[in-house]
Amino acid sequence: MLQAHSWLWYYLWGTPQVLLFGLGIWLCGRGLWRQWPAFLAFAILGSSGEMAVLAADVIPSVPAQTFWRIYWVVLLVGSLLKFFVIGEIFSRVFNPYPAVSRVGRILVSGFGAALVLTAALFAAFAVRNDTNRLIFGFHLLEQTVFLIESGLIVALFLFAGYFRLSWDRFAFGLAVGLGLSACEQLAAWAVVANASPSSHGRTLLEFLNMATYHVAVLIWIYYLLVPGKAVAKSAVSLPEHNLEVWNRELERLLQQ
Amino acid sequence: MTLAIVLVVAAVVALALIVRFTISARLQIADSSSTQALQPVDIEAFRNLADPAETEFLRRRLPPAEFRTVQRQRLRAMAGYLQIAGRNAATLAIIGQRALASGDAQTAEAARRLVASALLLRRNTAFALLKIRFALAWPHAYPAGAAFLSRYEKLSAAAMLLGRLQRPDVPVRLFAR
Repeated sequence: MLQAHSWLWYYLWGTPQVLLFGLGIWLCGRGLWRQWPAFLAFAILGSSGEMAVLAADVIPSVPAQTFWRIYWVVLLVGSLLKFFVIGEIFSRVFNPYPAVSRVGRILVSGFGAALVLTAALFAAFAVRNDTNRLIFGFHLLEQTVFLIESGLIVALFLFAGYFRLSWDRFAFGLAVGLGLSACEQLAAWAVVANASPSSHGRTLLEFLNMATYHVAVLIWIYYLLVPGKAVAKSAVSLPEHNLEVWNRELERLLQQ
Repeated sequence: MTLAIVLVVAAVVALALIVRFTISARLQIADSSSTQALQPVDIEAFRNLADPAETEFLRRRLPPAEFRTVQRQRLRAMAGYLQIAGRNAATLAIIGQRALASGDAQTAEAARRLVASALLLRRNTAFALLKIRFALAWPHAYPAGAAFLSRYEKLSAAAMLLGRLQRPDVPVRLFAR
């Protein structure tokens, strides 16, 4: 069952794309595309691209070189769109708080630049283990993209966590799904690009990648379609007892 | 192979961080009473520690080696106060964000101000702590505490206002009788 081009292989490859495309259509239908334009573009274009790659894989007349060229283009466009999605999540989390949005933007930009540099260094030091330049370059690009993506998501969680910012429900689900998928795929592509696994080993890693992405898409669907528990936000008041202690210190301050 | 190991370890650490933040964020939403207790900060003591004149006085009176030791102790104490203030700011930011959805416009505005002040203080304490870490290595440089004190006063005032608006029945004393 865990063979390349088995029914499970095609299920794990195709189903998340169909679900993601459906999610994009649903977003359009609900008018949510105004709130999430980058995610909508990623859902529609990214899934369409992957479906094109899947079709190229299935159609026997498509030569291997053409397949890899299509895959390259889809990877580049999909990666670009994913970075736009991360930017969109960042805006949704930080923009309501002008006190930290500027410093957050500066920190994430700086962190992103450091990640690009690190990813470039890792790519430069990778040992070429595939005779086909196109395939080897593809593996390295995957590793580079997922290194930057996972780093940015972790930075986003770190900054939002440090400032205790409350998340938009869907932004949170998107970040969790993207982060989960990026971390797993970073590990998998790092092994493929640097450790020369056997053909069966590569197939197993592909299965793992596709299954993780499937889970990520299901997380997005869950966070978009299932409403969250209503939290009685206004019911929380400042703790009376603590205020008294706090007041004592304030009194000392204000008497000066 | 080494690169693969390094990247796999980095990916596992990143995943662990994401899972940790996911769980803590979920717990924060689920438990509305999870806000940690506010801890008092002795502003007077902090003001004394951050006073450049006090530092200058110590520098003139003590031998250099002793001054460095004393100054490091003062900086560590300052860092302790700043950490408490930063935690208080985080707690007040959570409380303020929960009060933002209040139907009462005055309460919502007070909550917005509290959140803004709390986030600014949280940010400033982070920078101030960085400066203290630097000053610990080079105790002759002393970080300014005036900006922190001013921000802390604003945050306290915002917290008081929100407290009074949310619980008008509970008298919140701002001044000693």
